[in-house]
Amino acid sequence: MAASISGYTFSSVCYHSANSNSDHEGFLFGEVRQEETVSISDAQISSAELLQVIEIHNHDPCAQLFSFYDFAGKVNEENLKKIIKERRRNVIGWYRFRRNTQQQMSFREQVIHKQLTELLGVPDLVFLLFSFISTANSSTHAMEYVLFRPKIRAEFFDKDGVMKDIRTIFQVYSALQDKVQAVCGEVEQSERVREKIQEDVKKLKQQIALRKRKTAEEERRLRDAQNAATNSTPEEDTVPSVVTLLSRVSFHAPSAPERPNTSPNRPSYTDLLSQDDSLLSSGSPPTSAALLPRPQAVGSPGHPPPGPLGMSLGINSNPIPTPTTPYLGNGDGSSSDSLDRQAAGQEDDEDEEEEEDDEEDEDSSEYENLVSDAARFTMVSSSVFSQGRPASLSPDGDARGSQTT
Amino acid sequence: MNNMSPEVALNRISAELRPLLCSVVRNGRVGLDSTNCLRVTDLKTGCSSLTPGPCCDRFKLHIPYAGETLKWDIIFNAQHPQLPPDFIFGEDAEFLPEPSELPHLVHWDAENPESLLELVKEVLQQYHHYQCQRLRESSRLLFEYDSLLEEPSYGRNMEVYAGRKNTWTGEFSARFLLKLPVDFSNIPVYLLKDTALDPGEDVALLSVSFEDAEATQVFPKLYLSPSIEHALGGSSALHIPAFPSGGCLIDYVPQVCQLLTNKVQYVIQGYHKRREYIAAFLSYFGMGVVEYDAEGFTKLTLLLMWKDFCFLVHVDLPLYFPRDQPTLTFQSVYHFTNSGQLYSQVQKSYPYSPRWDGNEMAKRAKAYFKTFVPQFQEGAFANGKL
Repeated sequence: MAASISGYTFSSVCYHSANSNSDHEGFLFGEVRQEETVSISDAQISSAELLQVIEIHNHDPCAQLFSFYDFAGKVNEENLKKIIKERRRNVIGWYRFRRNTQQQMSFREQVIHKQLTELLGVPDLVFLLFSFISTANSSTHAMEYVLFRPKIRAEFFDKDGVMKDIRTIFQVYSALQDKVQAVCGEVEQSERVREKIQEDVKKLKQQIALRKRKTAEEERRLRDAQNAATNSTPEEDTVPSVVTLLSRVSFHAPSAPERPNTSPNRPSYTDLLSQDDSLLSSGSPPTSAALLPRPQAVGSPGHPPPGPLGMSLGINSNPIPTPTTPYLGNGDGSSSDSLDRQAAGQEDDEDEEEEEDDEEDEDSSEYENLVSDAARFTMVSSSVFSQGRPASLSPDGDARGSQTT
Repeated sequence: MNNMSPEVALNRISAELRPLLCSVVRNGRVGLDSTNCLRVTDLKTGCSSLTPGPCCDRFKLHIPYAGETLKWDIIFNAQHPQLPPDFIFGEDAEFLPEPSELPHLVHWDAENPESLLELVKEVLQQYHHYQCQRLRESSRLLFEYDSLLEEPSYGRNMEVYAGRKNTWTGEFSARFLLKLPVDFSNIPVYLLKDTALDPGEDVALLSVSFEDAEATQVFPKLYLSPSIEHALGGSSALHIPAFPSGGCLIDYVPQVCQLLTNKVQYVIQGYHKRREYIAAFLSYFGMGVVEYDAEGFTKLTLLLMWKDFCFLVHVDLPLYFPRDQPTLTFQSVYHFTNSGQLYSQVQKSYPYSPRWDGNEMAKRAKAYFKTFVPQFQEGAFANGKL
């Protein structure tokens, strides 16, 4: 920082000061400019130096002491305006002259300076201090001057003397910590919910498996019973079903012979029955798992909006609405992969649009969700069976068999 | 210019400001250390050199505070004596009191001679707060301060100076100056009036310097006003215990107080005991008493006769009587030594017990005289000449 004052301004200040019989003060007007020096040398390409220059153009002496402040050092804005008048924008500082005193800002000067910087809106207000000393026999007098630019630290330091920035940073840090704690809590809660739901899903799957086994057993028994019965005479109650099955078969197989019982190509109705059984039953365990739509964790933060993803995979890219590979993951319904949940989302959207509100509702209690999930599962299982020919998956994800509509 | 007497300073100062400075210099006692008054130096003028004197209107004021001396510049304007002064706080460049906390500045009354003294007291109070704030740099010292503050008998009479010992190392140090709440009012007056200086207020100050923020180097010192120091037997008689390492002021200060109180009690008791002793001797020896110290009861002279042998007995009672035994000096009225003094023998050990009362002591003394005088007489005859 540099300061410059013209000769006539300086001599004018000295004149007013030396001729006053007491301390003297006034205001300084001018401008502050930035000088940038770019030096180019062989050693380096360029280096820019910034220099702030305070130019004092003129001054305005105050007629008397305490003209714009009171005993407590409080600046009176009205009086200040009267002195400065329309040159407010050009005020760059103020000055004081006092004889035989130290070259240090006094108590009142500091108090006034702080207020002036605020009132005039000049944060870099300067203070020019003139002091005057004489030899004992008054033969030599010296006028000394010092320019102060006190850093008003009010905005940096709060009343405790701790840098406000540091305090702010600490506040941010502690707020962040609190937030992280809260999120951790939420995550923990949601994880627990998820765990519970998975438990329920596991249970339900077990139930379903049990039920399927029972059904399979029953049908086997039935089959056995029917086998025993057809070996003797075709029974009334089974014929229509056989006929219907056979007729169905004949439609599907163009090379099917007219008489069902003679052609070796023609699958025997037992085979048909078993085939139907296989179709009806769950079949291979992976397939059975595949048939079950993936449950969604309710309230999971990682749960993506199911819409777009489901739509793209289900309709745009693949005409056959097939669940994607991750389905075959563990086979027992558990997953630690969010992708699985995504897949679940898709499947759920395709198959059970009517249950979407349950998945979206994250605020409902666990119990409610479980109940609705359970209801969903039963409905799912019934819908699976009612569809008749749901797609069965091969390990590489291609769909075989008829497509669902 | 420096170290001038107050009167000289007053003569040089501008006439309108003289009353203000007068009350500061003559009556000014600010702070705990009232033995050191405020000093004024470096009187200068703010008027042009052509102004006829006396016209000094600015000076340096030396203020004792917490064992330090603050040097503050006070700036008036002789041409405008009704205006309040300005301050430069010297080395304490960061000290900036809030003007609203200085009522004598806000409502400066140049007509009131006490204005400047009152203003200085207010500024000093703000300075005290400022120093206490600085203690926050050391949690240990802040704890010391807070714990003392809780005790009203100490907290209200405390000055704290917290400064950086070394600007390079940034070692933090602090000094606590405490006025000890010891009652000196019962000390016999005679003990207090022997000092040449104006005794002022009887005060005991304890200064504890912490040379580092962790309180590992602690130096306590006891300051007594001159009369008290004399009454208690001089500075050598008073040894305060060293500051225990790891200890705190709140434990140490009451210890010192107690020690001092005990000493004072002892001195008071001693006085009464001596009085009792002399009273007893007076009743035992009646007409044999030549003279005695009726003020401090420290001396007694008896003129006794044993088998036509007259002798004097001078009894000197020490300050810590009855713990310390009185000294008996036997003096012959007939015999001289070579140097022209009366022949005398000093007896410091003789049957004595501090637990005897005055009467018992007088009785035993009489008995002792009877046993010792023959020896003394022989000695006087042998070694002295008539």
